[in-house]
Amino acid sequence: MTKITYEKPVISKITAGIPSKFGLPTRQKFIPDIDGIPVEMIMEEYGSPVFVLSEKTMRNTFAQAKQAFETRYPKVQFAWSYKTNYLDAVCSIFHDQGAWAEVVSAFEFQKALSLGVNGSNILFNGPEKSEEDLKLAIEHNACIHIDHFDELYLLIKVTRELDKKARVAIRINLDAGIYPIWDRFGFNYENGEAWNAINRIMLAEKLDLIGLHTHIGTYIMSANAYAVAASKLANLYMATHRKFDYWLKYIDLGGGFASKNTLKGAYMPGTETCPSFDEYAEAISNALISSEIPHENLPVLFLETGRALIDDAGYLLTTVLANKRSTTGRRTMVIDAGVNLLFTSFWYNLGVYPTRQLSSHLEESTIYGPLCMNIDVIRDAINFPQVKTGEKLVIERVGAYNMTQWMQFITFRPNVVMIDLERKMHIVRKKENLDTLTSLEQNPKR
Amino acid sequence: MKITEDIKISDNGFVFNSRTGDSFNLNPFALELMKNIEAEKSFDQIKAEVMEKYDIDDLSFEKDFYEFCALLKHHQIVLQDNPLDFK
Repeated sequence: MTKITYEKPVISKITAGIPSKFGLPTRQKFIPDIDGIPVEMIMEEYGSPVFVLSEKTMRNTFAQAKQAFETRYPKVQFAWSYKTNYLDAVCSIFHDQGAWAEVVSAFEFQKALSLGVNGSNILFNGPEKSEEDLKLAIEHNACIHIDHFDELYLLIKVTRELDKKARVAIRINLDAGIYPIWDRFGFNYENGEAWNAINRIMLAEKLDLIGLHTHIGTYIMSANAYAVAASKLANLYMATHRKFDYWLKYIDLGGGFASKNTLKGAYMPGTETCPSFDEYAEAISNALISSEIPHENLPVLFLETGRALIDDAGYLLTTVLANKRSTTGRRTMVIDAGVNLLFTSFWYNLGVYPTRQLSSHLEESTIYGPLCMNIDVIRDAINFPQVKTGEKLVIERVGAYNMTQWMQFITFRPNVVMIDLERKMHIVRKKENLDTLTSLEQNPKR
Repeated sequence: MKITEDIKISDNGFVFNSRTGDSFNLNPFALELMKNIEAEKSFDQIKAEVMEKYDIDDLSFEKDFYEFCALLKHHQIVLQDNPLDFK
């Protein structure tokens, strides 16, 4: 006789409250495969946890962003934000799609060079550029985005010493109507600091001012903020032309486009609330085209979007280690991927899903990572079905920042696997082992 | 382990505690277990019946059963002095 399929006994307290007026679906989503490859198979081959990147999603997302802007504005150039994910395999795909490199340190600069990026196609941002870094950038004819007056004067000194011209832009901070205003980077627009910097650079013999750059913030959910920023940069662009009879080459609106992840504390999921590439493109293009700039002198529009291009392409596959009950009766679950691998779990309610249809009975649960640390919480409240230990789970939208801000802590960092367009799997970063870590250490003899 | 007198259980898995005013939902298997507990069956007896009927091993069931009982106690549905005494 065939036995009945077992389902764990569940009792859930009925709590009175206001039902969701938005009627979001309550059916449990599950992710059985990534680009057609079963999750089980990936984990069998590469272990658990394991990061998986989809080349197909990366290329498709880039194509969507490109199309959104290029159909609205005549001159657009993307620059891949290295800090978002600087794995060689990832950068190579975006360069192959035509993106320049946007770097914020000498390390990233050298990484871009090692990947074959032409120095003149590198935008060098960031507040930390040493004399050596500036020399490196000048030698390679990169576009140096000056962050502050000390850097400006250091750059003037270096160019004199080298007797070489540097291609520069200035980073500008401004009030785009979003708060808090990011005013720690660059020169301020409203108080005239940016205009002063432009004037000083135009007087410097060895500096070639070619662009204006701003980065208004991160995970910006208002497309209109970009329109405000673009208008302000357009004003400076025209003011520079009027005073110096000189057309700058580009306006760079930085990054900050939101991905579809859901911020902690958000009422609605990111998939419902975040602007699309089309909305950002519409706002920015309209602002530039309707500015005073004559059509024939429109600047190249640079975009350094990182998060929105890569987040969706990254998955973290993980395994359930234990099910527990807290002292309050709350269901908790321990998985083998912790916050040391998921930096973004500090500000997102990351989507965690089973790989198959499980019980339709969901219970509010807390998901902990495996670290022996109280802060290791992946989700503090998520409706989740009952799962057994060993069950495989998929955490989606983890492509941005996690593989650069991750921390080697308590355990090794896992394999990162990429699925190519032909559905072949490749390790793009090997799992660490004891040698990886101890090879950097020195133990003084006693 | 005994279900308190304040508890009313419907045939479709709705549980009401008239003392605290709390109400609960049970999934079908939890309802079956509650009926067995209500009938004051021993753990061994319940386990034997479950093993016979369902596709589950004894250790997995034992783990789930104890977790379920702990929740019943937490929600003040059962009275229990010794959590391991199910007779």
